[in-house]
Amino acid sequence: MICEKCKHEIGPEDLKCPYCGADNPFALQHQANMEQFRTAYENTKQEVVQSARKTSGLATRAIILVILLIGCIVTHLISSYNYADHDPEDAVRQDAEKNAASYAKEAEAFLDRGEYTEFMSYLYAHELQYAAPEEFDHLQRVTYVARNYYECIKLMEEMILRSPDPDYFDGLDTDIQNFCMYLEEFYKTLEAQKSSEKDEVNLAYMEDMELELEAAMKTYFSMDDAALADFLSLSETKKALALVEVLRHD
Amino acid sequence: MTKKVKAILTILIVITAIVFLAFLADMIGSFKYANREVEDPMERRMSSFEYHLEHQAYGEVMSTYYAQRLDSFDAPAGIEDIYHVAEYAHAAFMSRVYAEKDDANRISSNAAKLDALRGELGAYQYTADEIDDMIRNAP
Repeated sequence: MICEKCKHEIGPEDLKCPYCGADNPFALQHQANMEQFRTAYENTKQEVVQSARKTSGLATRAIILVILLIGCIVTHLISSYNYADHDPEDAVRQDAEKNAASYAKEAEAFLDRGEYTEFMSYLYAHELQYAAPEEFDHLQRVTYVARNYYECIKLMEEMILRSPDPDYFDGLDTDIQNFCMYLEEFYKTLEAQKSSEKDEVNLAYMEDMELELEAAMKTYFSMDDAALADFLSLSETKKALALVEVLRHD
Repeated sequence: MTKKVKAILTILIVITAIVFLAFLADMIGSFKYANREVEDPMERRMSSFEYHLEHQAYGEVMSTYYAQRLDSFDAPAGIEDIYHVAEYAHAAFMSRVYAEKDDANRISSNAAKLDALRGELGAYQYTADEIDDMIRNAP
């Protein structure tokens, strides 16, 4: 700033001009202002410190609470994971989705070789029996028929190869009942699927399954063509009674 | 106001700390559960298998085989013998079906399969003879 009297440059805090000794009215005002600012600064500082003291406990508590809540969630998630019995079928389903194309080819190869029980076992083992990927769409109808064929053959094997020991557990009656149920289901499914199946190859598989099942019944239930036709015309209950006679030699 | 909030937070901290400790104890227990020793199902299946063979209950062997095959198409380690015996029994069962059907191709392929399966039976060779007898004499 410039001294009003001698026009020399002087500092804003110089109360008198160092060149001419004239009073500097701005320096007084400046000093008063500085004092006011200092007081205001001290007051604000004190207020801030007091407010910080008040809320610092609050913030610490809030942080501790959040940490504890996170701890609760994490420990709960870990224990839930450890206690969960993980479904092994999930991995199988994911694998089937990933390799659907190659699995479909393998399944077709079983059909091609006439290994229908193997075909169904393959589908079951890879969780492809229901809601299979689109690669299996063309095998859907033949699968419906094969499922009942598989159950019938499986039950026939269990009945024919049952223990000859009279003291051993005998589940023959239950097996016969189940067999008759699946046999009914086989013919119903076969009729329905044959009428809607367009693929000649799949139709041939269905007919082959029918022939095999009938050959199995003729062989293991001692029936000729006429006896088989009579047997198939019976109701489910009468079929079961007829089989009890044959298999128990009653 | 601040004091009240602090008091509420303190109460919440105490409650959460108790819950956290409970969850922590539960988590420690869960590790023990996850690492527990489970009974080997294969060992149990093999002892049932031996019992079934004692009684020539090949139907039960087939039942076990088909049930196991829902999970595993190929024989899991430790129960290969169950699969071998059951596969032989299935092929033996089908041999008479193919004969009745007069299907020359399958008769020959199944006969070859039976021979191969018989070779895999090892100590259970005798089961093939028993199965053949049961199949031949059925019903």
